[in-house]
Amino acid sequence: MNLERLPNEEKLSLCRKYYLGGFAFLPFLWLVNVVWFFREAFVKPAYTEQLQIKTYVKRSALGLLLWVAVLTTWITIFQHFRAEWGEVADYLSFTIPLGIP
Amino acid sequence: MLALSQVSLFSLAGVSCNSVEQKIYVELNNMVPCVRLLNATHQIGCQSSISGDVGVIHVLESEANLEWVLSTGPNPPYMVILESALFTRSIMMKLKNGTGRVAGAAVVVSKTNPAEGFSPHTKCPNENTGVYSESYDPTMAHCNVTVWNPLGNGLSYEEFDFPIFSLNDDNDTEAIRQCYLGYNLGVNGSTPEYPLCAMQLFSHMHAVTDTATCMRRNDINFSINPEMVCDPLGDYNVWGSTKPLNNTAKGHKEGESMVIAATRLDSRSFFWDVAPGAESAVSGFVTLLAAAHALHNVTQEAHPPRTILYTFFQGEAFDYIGSSRMVYEMDHKQFAIDLDNVHSVVEIGQVGLRSSSELWVHSDPVSRRNNSINAEVSSLIDTLKSAAMNLNVTMSVPSFSQPLPPSSFQRFLRARPIPGVVIADHQSAFSNRYYESIYDKAANLNLTYPANLTEDEQLEFVTETANALADLATVVARALYKQAGGADAQLINIKAEPKIVTQMLYGFLVRSNNTWFQALVPPEFKNFLSKLECHYYVGVSQTPSHARTPTRLVQYLLANLTGTTINITKENCHNSLIIKPSSLPQLYSYVWVQGVASPNSTERQGFCVRSSVRLSKAVSPAFDLLQEYSSKDYSTWTESRWKFIKARIFLVASHDLEVNPLHFLALDSCLPAQCLASSQIQSARRRYFTKHNQKMILITAIKVMLFSW
Repeated sequence: MNLERLPNEEKLSLCRKYYLGGFAFLPFLWLVNVVWFFREAFVKPAYTEQLQIKTYVKRSALGLLLWVAVLTTWITIFQHFRAEWGEVADYLSFTIPLGIP
Repeated sequence: MLALSQVSLFSLAGVSCNSVEQKIYVELNNMVPCVRLLNATHQIGCQSSISGDVGVIHVLESEANLEWVLSTGPNPPYMVILESALFTRSIMMKLKNGTGRVAGAAVVVSKTNPAEGFSPHTKCPNENTGVYSESYDPTMAHCNVTVWNPLGNGLSYEEFDFPIFSLNDDNDTEAIRQCYLGYNLGVNGSTPEYPLCAMQLFSHMHAVTDTATCMRRNDINFSINPEMVCDPLGDYNVWGSTKPLNNTAKGHKEGESMVIAATRLDSRSFFWDVAPGAESAVSGFVTLLAAAHALHNVTQEAHPPRTILYTFFQGEAFDYIGSSRMVYEMDHKQFAIDLDNVHSVVEIGQVGLRSSSELWVHSDPVSRRNNSINAEVSSLIDTLKSAAMNLNVTMSVPSFSQPLPPSSFQRFLRARPIPGVVIADHQSAFSNRYYESIYDKAANLNLTYPANLTEDEQLEFVTETANALADLATVVARALYKQAGGADAQLINIKAEPKIVTQMLYGFLVRSNNTWFQALVPPEFKNFLSKLECHYYVGVSQTPSHARTPTRLVQYLLANLTGTTINITKENCHNSLIIKPSSLPQLYSYVWVQGVASPNSTERQGFCVRSSVRLSKAVSPAFDLLQEYSSKDYSTWTESRWKFIKARIFLVASHDLEVNPLHFLALDSCLPAQCLASSQIQSARRRYFTKHNQKMILITAIKVMLFSW
């Protein structure tokens, strides 16, 4: 979607929708928000809705960072300790590698 | 990898890659892997990586030559080729600690047995699942009194993280040696240069850690691709009786007092599914089959007061799978009789190697501390000794107090004290110097046939071993009859036939596809008879119609030797329920056998054999009955699954060439045949490596590398 042609109110509502949608355990919506609206929020010359868009982008970035931190920690811990956890790890896994612990 | 990328380029071009593959790789046939087995606490055996392990071939000359493989050789990892004389524990342990420089090992199996003996089994077989534990008698646990298998080096129970295969084909061994001599030896003592001869072994095993883990992973339902990773070891026991038993009424049988004649059916070795087991298994069950045949007529005419139950246990090499299952079933009213019905047990152990015609009768000193048991055992030993009089056999008792050798009778003793003995050809340590190894073959029993005999003549030729085993079978049969309370006057009529014994020895140890076996098996089984000897590895458990070939052979032989022919048609033989109304008890089993072929014709006169021979499941109770996969009391052995197993040799290029084909294009090093002057190289480079060309080359190279993975 080409943001150039949208009026500013629609840009704001789109940004808000993505921001609110990200709370439903969808951090990728926040990633999209940040990437898509970064120029709009910080680079473009000021317009009325830009302040709101700026806050949405900042909060999306914050949420995204939080998710990245949590997922990275969990993935590291799980990959490291999966072999030691035995039964619990097997029940948590979707695919268990063959032939290695 | 360069080779693989060549292959994939051709396949992309639409040309079939098989011919190119055959030009690169030489497939090795007849290579037997060592596979991974797991139990409650350990994993043993060998594992390769999922895409096979590649190593530069090195034929090991001596133990000192290991230095080349482990530290000084310039092209690790190495694939070590061992002659059978070098397949020792010290060398294998050093290879095991080789960390990264050892890609695998291949053992060249020699035709003659190593003179000093070789046994990869442990020194104390089945030490944790027999009857001798700390609670039973601490002085006798863990082979403190007698080490039964002193030549055992325990290799079968070690864990290796590289594949180990055995080479059985002389052509393959020759090809490997030629390849090694041609490419891998440096000229005049210098370091060998690429390309070098390499071998790749695939034997990736799926199961890991221990039985509990692999059985749990078998059962996981919600993973994306559920896969079975291991299977419990097991098969079927064969049992029969002199008087038919009602098999549908389980539990205690009133008034039945039985003498159990037991032996084992299986063996194992370091490699998968190779288990010739001549002395450890075949000598015992052939003797018992001959004894059952000798007793057949007498027990029909003058049946003794007690019934004799012949049992052939499968899976005994792996912590007594078959006998522990049968004792469990007897204890829990799931078998035709229970332990109160058992009067005594006579077990035939390893009996093929008796020198000076002396046989030893082993008994359990701990249960004999009880006076009544002691009296029973003494009388059983006297029965055996008196049965051996006037025959070429001497039954002796070991001169010192000694525990029982590893035997199925120990599982009966674990349940309750029962009088019983184990007959063996060794007084203390085994006389078998190749216990549970690939060398326990016919030659180990001194089974030799004169030259220039046809197969049929060899089948009929009565060897010395056959005579010796037939004598022993007579003694055992007479002793069993007397122990079962039969009259002394009948003993003289009990005699085992050496002809039957020698035919059995030929069929089980030399060639199972012979005329005698073919006459005794059902028509649908005849394709399982091969022109080689049988192997007695217990394998993984399957349905009764897919039981292991040796188990079914023993079943049909016992049926023919102890059953009667009845005159009914083939359909009625299969549908045995039609013969009698279903209200009568199920006493017999029926099998339709092929019969002999009439001369000059392929037609066979089949007939129906009615006998009391049945199969009983021989899977450890830890699996289907108790589901205790970490059990310490029962066998928990499982065998891992795998996708494919193969081996091949090829020439491998240097690592640099594999990793970076573009480097090759840069023409930094001259190829000897096409060495251009360096200025020509520079101008060629400038013309060739324009920006556009570089991009295309890079893209093609990346595509090739991606495909070749």
